[in-house]
Amino acid sequence: MSVARRALILAASAALLAACSPTPAAPPAGTGAAPASSITELDYYADEQGSAAWQKILDTCASQTGIKIQRQTVPTAQMLPKVLQGASSKTLPDLLFTDNPTLQQVAATGALTPLDGYGISTDGYYESIVKAGSYQGKVYGVAPGVNGLALIYNKDLLTAAGVEPPKTWDELKAASAKLTKDGKYGLAFSAIPSEEGTWQFLPFFWSNGAELSQLDSAQSVKALQFVTDLVNSGSASKSVVTWNQNDVADQFVAGNAAMMVNGSWNLARLDEQKSLHYGVVPIPVPQAGAKPVVALGGEVGAVPVTGGPTQQAAGKVLSCILSEPTMLEWSKAHAYIPSKTATAAKFGAGQPAMQAFVDEVGTARSRTAELGEKYPKVSQALADALQAALTGKQPADQALKAAQQASGS
Amino acid sequence: MTLVAPAVAAPPRAGRKPRRDNRFAAWLFLLPALAYIVVFFGYPLAANVVMSTQDYTVKSFYTGEAPFVGFANYSAVFGNSLFSTAVLNTVLFTAGSLVFQFGIGLALAVFFSGRFLGSALLRSLLLLPWLLPLVVSGAIWRWMFDQDHGVLNAALRFVGLDAVPWLSSTGWALPAVILTNIWIGIPFNLVILHGGLRAIPASLYEAASLDGAGAWQRFRHVTWPLLRPVTGIVLMLGLVYTIKVFDVIMVVTGGGPANATQTLTTWSYRLSFQDFAFGQGAAVGNVLILVATVFGLLYLRSAKATLAEAAA
Amino acid sequence: MKTSSWPRTVFGVLIVAVLLFPLYWMVNASLQPGGALLRPDPAFFPVGGTLDGYRKALSSQGPHLLSSVVVALGTVLVSLAIAAPASYALAQLKFRGGPVLVFVLLIVQMIPGIVMANALYTVFSNLGLIDNYLGLVLADSTATIPFAVLLLRAFMISVPKELTEASRVDGAGYWRTFRSIILPVSRNALVTAGLFSFLFAWADFLFAVTLTTGQSFEPITVGIYRFVGNQSADWNGIMATAVLAAVPAAVLLVVAQRYVVAGLTSGAVKD
Repeated sequence: MSVARRALILAASAALLAACSPTPAAPPAGTGAAPASSITELDYYADEQGSAAWQKILDTCASQTGIKIQRQTVPTAQMLPKVLQGASSKTLPDLLFTDNPTLQQVAATGALTPLDGYGISTDGYYESIVKAGSYQGKVYGVAPGVNGLALIYNKDLLTAAGVEPPKTWDELKAASAKLTKDGKYGLAFSAIPSEEGTWQFLPFFWSNGAELSQLDSAQSVKALQFVTDLVNSGSASKSVVTWNQNDVADQFVAGNAAMMVNGSWNLARLDEQKSLHYGVVPIPVPQAGAKPVVALGGEVGAVPVTGGPTQQAAGKVLSCILSEPTMLEWSKAHAYIPSKTATAAKFGAGQPAMQAFVDEVGTARSRTAELGEKYPKVSQALADALQAALTGKQPADQALKAAQQASGS
Repeated sequence: MTLVAPAVAAPPRAGRKPRRDNRFAAWLFLLPALAYIVVFFGYPLAANVVMSTQDYTVKSFYTGEAPFVGFANYSAVFGNSLFSTAVLNTVLFTAGSLVFQFGIGLALAVFFSGRFLGSALLRSLLLLPWLLPLVVSGAIWRWMFDQDHGVLNAALRFVGLDAVPWLSSTGWALPAVILTNIWIGIPFNLVILHGGLRAIPASLYEAASLDGAGAWQRFRHVTWPLLRPVTGIVLMLGLVYTIKVFDVIMVVTGGGPANATQTLTTWSYRLSFQDFAFGQGAAVGNVLILVATVFGLLYLRSAKATLAEAAA
Repeated sequence: MKTSSWPRTVFGVLIVAVLLFPLYWMVNASLQPGGALLRPDPAFFPVGGTLDGYRKALSSQGPHLLSSVVVALGTVLVSLAIAAPASYALAQLKFRGGPVLVFVLLIVQMIPGIVMANALYTVFSNLGLIDNYLGLVLADSTATIPFAVLLLRAFMISVPKELTEASRVDGAGYWRTFRSIILPVSRNALVTAGLFSFLFAWADFLFAVTLTTGQSFEPITVGIYRFVGNQSADWNGIMATAVLAAVPAAVLLVVAQRYVVAGLTSGAVKD
C-alpha cells in the first residue's frame, strides 16, 4: 500500500509536470563548444548478428575518437514512435541511425541538425543516397552503407530444369513457369501491405519507367500487370501478399521457391546452408539492355538537436563511421554496399557474390528524392494497389487509379 | 473464486450506522484508485481528444504546436473509403471472437468443473497460450495458416478437403485472424467463468436433480441464471479487449490482404504512423472510445438489474 | 460420477491436445533449424533436431526473464493494493458515484495502447521514471487495475451485506471489516485477479519497449527481439526463448490454480 501511495504521489506530480509542458531548449548548431566525452546512440540493428557487427563499428569509433558511446537498440517497427516520443519530450539520442525513407520525416520535425556543421561532406557518395539524406536543400543524414534488391536463385534447381538465370521480364516469366513443379514455385517475393511491399515492387515499377508522381501511368499498369500475372499463372504463390522478406527467404531456404527477389543482407544466412548453392543476378528488366532501377535501402546517421557539446561529439563519431575503413568493415560484416562510389568499386572487386548488388547501386533511386515528406502516403497507396491486384479484388489499372486518387488527396 | 454462496446464513443482527459515515469510508477506500485513474488515464485521454481536433504532424511532436482544425479530422475519417471497411471488419471481428470465445470458454468451464482425474491440471494447462509473446504465437499461426505448406491445410487435405487460402484471400483472412484471436481469448473466458461456476452452491444442483432435472435443464435453470453477473462482466471485458485488439492482427496479416482485416484499431495506427496524419489517427481512436461508451451504458443498465437482484 | 471419470479424463486430454497444438508446434520449431517447418514435408517430431536455439536463448535471455518476473509480480502487488479497497467500496458501501466509476473504468480501457504509451513516455521522462521498475509497473497497471476492480467488484457484490454489517456492529471499523472479512472471503477472486494481472504484465510489449532503453533492464518480450533483425529472424532462437519464458510462468500458473482449488474447499464462509 505505501509503495502504491508513494507511486501515486510521484505520478501525480508527473501529470503536473506534463501539464506545464517544458519549453523547447533549441540550442544552436553549437560550433565552437568542446565535444562531450560521451554520447547516446539509437539504432534498430536488434538481431544478434547485426547487433554484433554494429557494436564493432561503434567500438572502433569510440576508441578512435575517445568518446564513450551509450547504445540503445529498438525493434524496427518501434523506431519511428521512439524518435517522435524523443522529439516531443526533448530526449532524443545524440546520434541516430534510421531507415533512409524516414529521414525526411524526422528532419521535418526540425529536430535534426545539418551535417555540414560537423565537417561532413558528401563528395564521392552515390547521388541517390545524398538525395535520400537531404531535406529542403540541406543534408541531414548520411549512410555508411546501402543495400538493394536482386534476384537470388537456387543453382541446383535451375541447372536441373535447364534454365539460365533470367535477365529480362520475358525470361523471368518463362523461367518461373518452367521452374514451377513438384509443389515448388518458380519465384518468391514479398507484397505485404506496407513499405516493405512497395520497396519490393519498386524495382519493377521504376525499371519500366513509371514515376511515383503518377501511379496510374501506362508503364505503372504494365509493371503491376506483370507481377500479377506471375501470381495468377501460378509461377509465384498467392501467399506473397502475406510474406515479408524474411518469410520469402525462409521459403527459398526451405526449397519451396527456385528464385527470390531479396536483399544482400540474406547472403550470410544463405552461406550457412551448406547444401544450398545460390547465385545472384540483377533484377530482370523489361527489355534486354535496359538498366535495372531498384530502390535504395540502408540506414542513415543523423545528429539531433541536443546541445553544442553532445552534437559536436556525435558529429565526430559519425565522421568516423563514415570513414573509408569503417565503411568497408561495416559493409563486409553486414553484406551492405559502401555508399561511396570508389569504395564500393574496391569492395565489389573483392566480393563476387556482392557484384550484382554493387552494379545496381549505380542506378538505384532514393524513394524520397522527389516526393519528400509525401512519400509515405504514396507508398501506402501503391502497396494497397499491389494487394488489390494480387488478390484479384481489382484489375491492375483500376487499382492504380484508386491509388493515384488516394495519394493525391 | 469467491465462493460465498448467496445462501450462506447471516447472523440476524440489524444495527446500522448512519449513511454519511458509510459514504466517507467509501471515498477513502476509493481514493487510491481514483487518483490512479485521474493521473494515468486523464492525461492520455485528454491528449487524444485534443490531438483529434488538430492538424497534428510529425513537426508538432517537436514544436508542440498544431493548428486547431475543429472537426476536420473526423470528417476526413468518415469520408475515407476505408472507414466503412474498417467498421464492418471491427464488428465482424468483435462479434465472431466474442461469440466463440465465450461459447467455447463456457463449455470448457462446465466440462472441467466436473471433478475427474487431472481436471485441475488440464484446466490450468489451457492457460498456457497466454504466456507466449504475441510475436511468437502470431508467427506460429502464420506458419500453420500457410497456404501451401501449413499444417492446417495438410490436415484438411488429409481428411479429403480442399486447401484453404487462409491468409492470402480477402474472404478467408478475416476468419483466420478471428480464429487466432478466439484461441488467444479462450483461457480468459474459461478461468473467469470457471470461478463463477464454483460460486454456485452444489445444493442447488442436488435439489434440481431430486426434482428430476437432466443435465441440460440443470444448466438452463441453475447454472445460467446464477452465472449472470459473471457472464455480464466477461462479455463486457471481452468486448473492450476484443474491439481494441491490435497486435494479433498486425502480426498475422498486417491488416491485409487488400485491407480485408483492417479494423478501426489497425487503421488508426496506420493513419498515425504510416500516413503521419496523427489527428485522424486520434479521431479514429476516439470513435472507438465512443462505441465502447455506448456498450458501457448498455452494460450499466443490465448491471443495475443485477445489483438490484443481489440486494434483494 | 466416479464411474465416468476415466472417459472424461481422456476427453479432457484430447481437448487440451487440440487447443495446445500451436504450443507443441512452437516447441517443435524451437528444436529445428529456422524455416524447417515450411518444408513441403514438415517434421512433426523434432527428430535429429538442434539445441542451438536453447544455447543462444540461455546465454542471453536469463536477465530478461528475471526482469519480467519482477515487473509482473510488482504489477500484481500494485494492482491488488489499489483495486481491492476500491472494489470493496463499490460492492459493499453505498457509494453514489459507483455506477459512473464502473463506467469510467470500462471506457478508459479503450484508449489505444500507443496513445497511452506516448503520453506516459512524456510524463515519465520528465520524472526520471524511464528505465525504472516502478515506472513500468505503474504503466502495466493501467491495463490491470480497471480489470481487477471490475472483477473483484463482481465477486464482492455476492458477499452478504449482513456479514459485513454484523462485523461493523461488533465494533470493527471499515478497515478491519475489509481486512478480516472481505479479503479472506475474496481470496480466490484476489488470486484470479492477481493471476491475470501477472499475465497481462508478462505479455506486455508496448510499454516495455517504450519505457525502457535496455540500459538497466529489459523484459523478455523486448529481449526476444535480440533474434529479430530488421530483415532477418532467427526462429530457432525466438521459439527457444518463448519456450524458456513460458516454463517459469507455467509453473506459477499451475501453483496458482491449485491454490484456487484448495480455496474452494476450505475457504468458504462458515460460522
